[in-house]
Amino acid sequence: MRALGVAFVAAILVAAVGFLFVPSMILAAPIEPVMGFVQKIFYFHVPCASMMFLSTFTCAAGSMAYLFKGSERGDRLAAAAGELGVLFGACTLVTGPLWGRKAWGVYWQWDARLTTSLLLFLILIGYMLARRYGGPGGRKLSAALALFAAVDVPLVYKSVDFWRTVHPQTTVVPKLDPHMRPAFWSSMLLITLVWSVLLTVRARLEGARAELATLKLDVEDLLEARS
Amino acid sequence: MTTMKKAAAALAVVAATLAAPALAFAQEFEKISGKATEEVPAGPFVGIAYSFIWIALLAYVVSVARGVVRVKSELRELRAKLDAADKR
Repeated sequence: MRALGVAFVAAILVAAVGFLFVPSMILAAPIEPVMGFVQKIFYFHVPCASMMFLSTFTCAAGSMAYLFKGSERGDRLAAAAGELGVLFGACTLVTGPLWGRKAWGVYWQWDARLTTSLLLFLILIGYMLARRYGGPGGRKLSAALALFAAVDVPLVYKSVDFWRTVHPQTTVVPKLDPHMRPAFWSSMLLITLVWSVLLTVRARLEGARAELATLKLDVEDLLEARS
Repeated sequence: MTTMKKAAAALAVVAATLAAPALAFAQEFEKISGKATEEVPAGPFVGIAYSFIWIALLAYVVSVARGVVRVKSELRELRAKLDAADKR
């Protein structure tokens, strides 16, 4: 437990250093000749999209554990991951159109990649709404929604290969210029680290809330028994 | 309606249809002289994109921190209730 605490503090420190260091690496990376300076958005847009995918898979895994094994821990992990999916989904869907405005001349195109990404984001919002306002069966309903969201992820990723789209292909990252790689992978590492820290803290908070609710009932029972 | 009137009405519709784009063209578009270029500066887009990410992350961290504070204060309330019950 103590080792986990030390690792957690170390992760926070590394993330703090990363926030100071990575932007300077991105600025120092070479300018892309076709898109120019706006291509710098790529260094954070792609990691944010990756974290949206990772959040969705984590949410689905936790939801499966809850649905099929009744795991409360899985449910808490799913709740935390679902929120992070919405957070990083919002970052992806805001930074992408800003890039698009400069690169394509428009903020939004109803092409396959953008539309399926928006659909994934809306399913994740649906997950949160069902969880919050779904009543007694809300947690199971939202868990089922998380499975649908996970099915959408491969569709989002492969959409640029299946259909003709204006969005860059999946080959962009593997074929990235060697001089751009350090900035990109540092940014990916930083965002992944931030995601891990946020997921841990949020899942623990969900656990503390659940314990508090149980404790409240116990205290009320105890006080009633005494009076 | 006579055939002449129908023909006149049809002509009027055709004339109006053809005139509308010409009118719009005259009112909304202007011919430019020299090379046609459109420069959208990239700096503001990159700035807004990064600012949004940092603000969103910060807002989320603040909301989680508020949740932690709320849980702690509720725990304190419970402890106080238990202490009060013990004193009775």
